[in-house]
Amino acid sequence: MEIVFDKVTKNYGPISVFKDLNLKIEPGDFIFITGPSGSGKSTLIKLILNQIKPNSGDILVDGKALNHLKKKNEIDKIRRKIGVIFQDYQLINDLTIEENIALILDIVNYPNAKRLSRIDEVIKMVKLQHRHFLFPSQLSGGELQRASLARALSIEPEVILADEPTGNLDPTNAWNLIKILQNINKKYKTTIIMTTHNMDFIESLDKKVIKLGKSEHENT
Amino acid sequence: MKILNLTLHHIRRSPFQSLVAFLTVFICFLILNSFIFLNRGLSSVLSYFETKPEITIFLKDGLDEATVQAVQKELAGYPDIKEIRYISKEKALSLYKEMNKDNPLLTEMVTASILPASFEVSAYNPKVLEVIAQSFSAKSQIVDEIIYQKDIIQSLLTWTQVIRTSSIVLISIFVLIAFLVIFTLIGMKITNRKDEIRISRLLGASKFYVKKPFILEGIIYGSIGSFFGFIISFLIIYNLRDSINFFFQPITFIYALTIFEPLLLLAEIFAGIFIGLSASWLGARRYIKW
Repeated sequence: MEIVFDKVTKNYGPISVFKDLNLKIEPGDFIFITGPSGSGKSTLIKLILNQIKPNSGDILVDGKALNHLKKKNEIDKIRRKIGVIFQDYQLINDLTIEENIALILDIVNYPNAKRLSRIDEVIKMVKLQHRHFLFPSQLSGGELQRASLARALSIEPEVILADEPTGNLDPTNAWNLIKILQNINKKYKTTIIMTTHNMDFIESLDKKVIKLGKSEHENT
Repeated sequence: MKILNLTLHHIRRSPFQSLVAFLTVFICFLILNSFIFLNRGLSSVLSYFETKPEITIFLKDGLDEATVQAVQKELAGYPDIKEIRYISKEKALSLYKEMNKDNPLLTEMVTASILPASFEVSAYNPKVLEVIAQSFSAKSQIVDEIIYQKDIIQSLLTWTQVIRTSSIVLISIFVLIAFLVIFTLIGMKITNRKDEIRISRLLGASKFYVKKPFILEGIIYGSIGSFFGFIISFLIIYNLRDSINFFFQPITFIYALTIFEPLLLLAEIFAGIFIGLSASWLGARRYIKW
């Protein structure tokens, strides 16, 4: 799934986050997006998800301009191909971790017969075997982050958008999460777009980096 | 997670709100059923009086056979006549004795000669009876008295009409209340669950997908409320059936079970589903904007 930003400008009132941002993310890319707080890392993720609209310019996902979609449900179809790890987890509080994963599998219409085994698989992948029956309020920040990762992985997405996924993890778990994402990227050619402040990851891994500046963007 | 599970989960998470919605639909159908059975009973009462001889013409004493036959012939000449029955003095006496068989004091002094002969006339069209009544009132040389049941029927018709109209008004008000309660309740639930809906939408759920549990919830309130509304009212009415029928003797106010009751149950469940569906669908449409 190719993602293209074509002269995208995004302002929040008088504050300009991007101006004429051009960006192309190829299928199978692993990209870090970095920059100081307020530079627009999360905004970029939200724009790809069509959660917010740009002030000008086009965002093309899979060749489709998000602000010119013909059918109302086309954005839903695009979102079903994207696994998202939100900075604040965005798990549904009165569903258990297992039910949260089951919900997204139902949304993407994952084959019924494979749902339970898929839930087990991703739960094991993120090492939450003994926590899957708990509610989000009963988990630590790190566990919530892993639960959010499990949900994103469960649908076998074409793209994973990870917004500060290691922010609440200790170094060991943070590296484990990076390894999982690397494996997915390598094995299934899943595009990974990850925002982070952590320069260790960026320096240690040979991946593309998009550096955003405060108020004005700079693209390297 | 299946939609039905999610819906039941929503209901369990706010049991008192759900109970209010259920009770409103339940009461609505309880009242509806009571009126349906009352109307059926009143129709029985009405048809009882309608099928009874609606006009009785008492003849003067001493009329010869030819005059009586002429009267009968004249009556038979009217259109839409259902039945003409001649009650001779002797027949009147035997009917009188039958009616008062438990009270010999009332019968021992009575003879056929003091009871008048009469014609009992019923018709398919009540207007004919009015014409007959007017025509025979003028024949004072052969007619002693005319008893016309028009007043009873008119009074019954008025009462039936009043009860029907008030039942329609009352049921309409309750249907409106049930509709508004479900509509508002679904709106409240959507507001309480806006984060869940927003997250589901971001994960790719269509608008219809996120609306489905709420619409299904409305359908559940409508169908279960109407089902229990029918069952409870049915049980109450059929438990009191013997006492009610005894009171209205010889009229059968509440009939024995027929195919009507299961059909009514089905129709009411459909009506309940329609109320729940339309209220929750409109509620979901009104409140789910994102």
